[in-house]
This record gives sequence, structure tokens and C-alpha cells, in this order.
Amino acid sequence: MDALRAIAEPRRQQILRLLVDGEMPAGRIAEHFDVSRPAVSQHLHVLLEAGLVSERKLGRQRLYQVRPESLEQLRQFIGEFWDDALSRLSRAAEAEQRRREV
Amino acid sequence: MNVSPTDAVEREVRIAAPPEVVFQYFVDPVKMMEWKGTEAYLDPRPGGAYRVNVTGREIVRGEYVEVVPYSRVVFTWGWEEGPITPGSTTVEVTLTPDGSGTLLHLRHLGLDAEGQVSHVQGWEHYLPRLAIAASGGDPGVDPWTQVQAP
Repeated sequence: MDALRAIAEPRRQQILRLLVDGEMPAGRIAEHFDVSRPAVSQHLHVLLEAGLVSERKLGRQRLYQVRPESLEQLRQFIGEFWDDALSRLSRAAEAEQRRREV
Repeated sequence: MNVSPTDAVEREVRIAAPPEVVFQYFVDPVKMMEWKGTEAYLDPRPGGAYRVNVTGREIVRGEYVEVVPYSRVVFTWGWEEGPITPGSTTVEVTLTPDGSGTLLHLRHLGLDAEGQVSHVQGWEHYLPRLAIAASGGDPGVDPWTQVQAP
């Protein structure tokens, strides 16, 4: 699970939280941290490799944003959780209704 | 970037029982355990807490936000030990009469980047375990199977 390993680093979590608000150039991301610009670039590289953020070039800038797909795993899991739970709920409620109708 | 349109999980299911019957499964602990949980403590009023042991080991807890008899229940939702922390997400359930049955609509909100990024470390630990259990895979000593065969 590359994405999960990438996100385990606190600084990278902070970068992601920053990017949740919108696309941002590398320079502005670095302004939020007291570490060197190359260190921030390295974190961005890890996040890119993990597929958590995407990058595009605009003139001389590189802009970064969170890829919504990275959260798809969680949503898929929760979806399956409810599919499972709701089918049990249906069976229970329908059985109860049949008892009532007798 | 706007992540909100995809931040919810939605499900709709038709149930051959009226809303009066279905509603009880969200507010009555004995009925709750028929579909979700091995232990349930529920205080079904706005601001009231609930705590449900869903697998025998994984505990979901939160607070009821809205409780409107037979039509709507809203509650906050999270696992005590992750991957989603209590209070960070919300579940809205609406019950609509559909002939002699019920149309149940469920919306699980807050599964967005903003709400969840800080908890992702928890996902790494719990998602694989929960996913195995939830898919009916080898539950090992995890008593999830008790939930699947009420």
C-alpha cells in the first residue's frame, strides 16, 4: 500500500491538507513549512509516486493538487460495509413484518 | 479543486416492511443487534450517545443528531480505534413509504479528503483487517460471522 505508506509521514499529511483547499504551486507549499524547498519537493515527489497528488506545468510553475481517487479506497470500503449491513437490516425488518402479518 | 461531490457514500434499498417497522432497527438496541453489532447501547434522541460493538472487537460510536420517528435518523459515526474516528463522519438515513414497504436512503458524509487525511494512518492499520472481515473472508478469531448470521 504505497499511498498509505506515503501518507504516514506527518509533513506529507500537512501538505495534503493544504492541497485539499485547492491547487497550489510548489513555491507556495514550501512557504508553509520551515524546511528547505528541496525537502518539500522530495515530499511532493513521494506523494506523486503514490498517486495521492497530481502535478501540472503552467509556464515555469509546477502546480499540485490532491487526486480525489486516493480517497476512493475508503469510500469503497464504507460502501461495502453498508451494502452488507443494509441487506441484513432488510432481512430482519422483512421477517419482523411477516411475523406481524400472521 | 472541489472534492465535495464525491465525498459521500449513498445507498438506496427497498424493504418490504413499513417505515414504522424499519425505524425501530435504528433506535432499539435489541433490533439493532439483529443487523449490526454484538452489543448495542443507544440513547436515541438528539445529542444522545450510542455505542455499538459491530464485530465483537471493532466498536462504532457517535451521537444521534436527528431522530424523527418513522422518517429520519441522523447520527455521527466512527470507529473507536479508526480508520474513521468518531465524530468525523455523519450518516443520514431517510425512510419514505413505498407502497406497503419502505424506501431507505442512506448517505454517509464526511468521507472527504479534508475530514479523513489526518486519519489515514489509521486506515493502514485497520482497513485490511476490516475489509477481510467485511467481505466474509477468513475472519479468524474475529467474531464478525456472528453479525452475518443474526
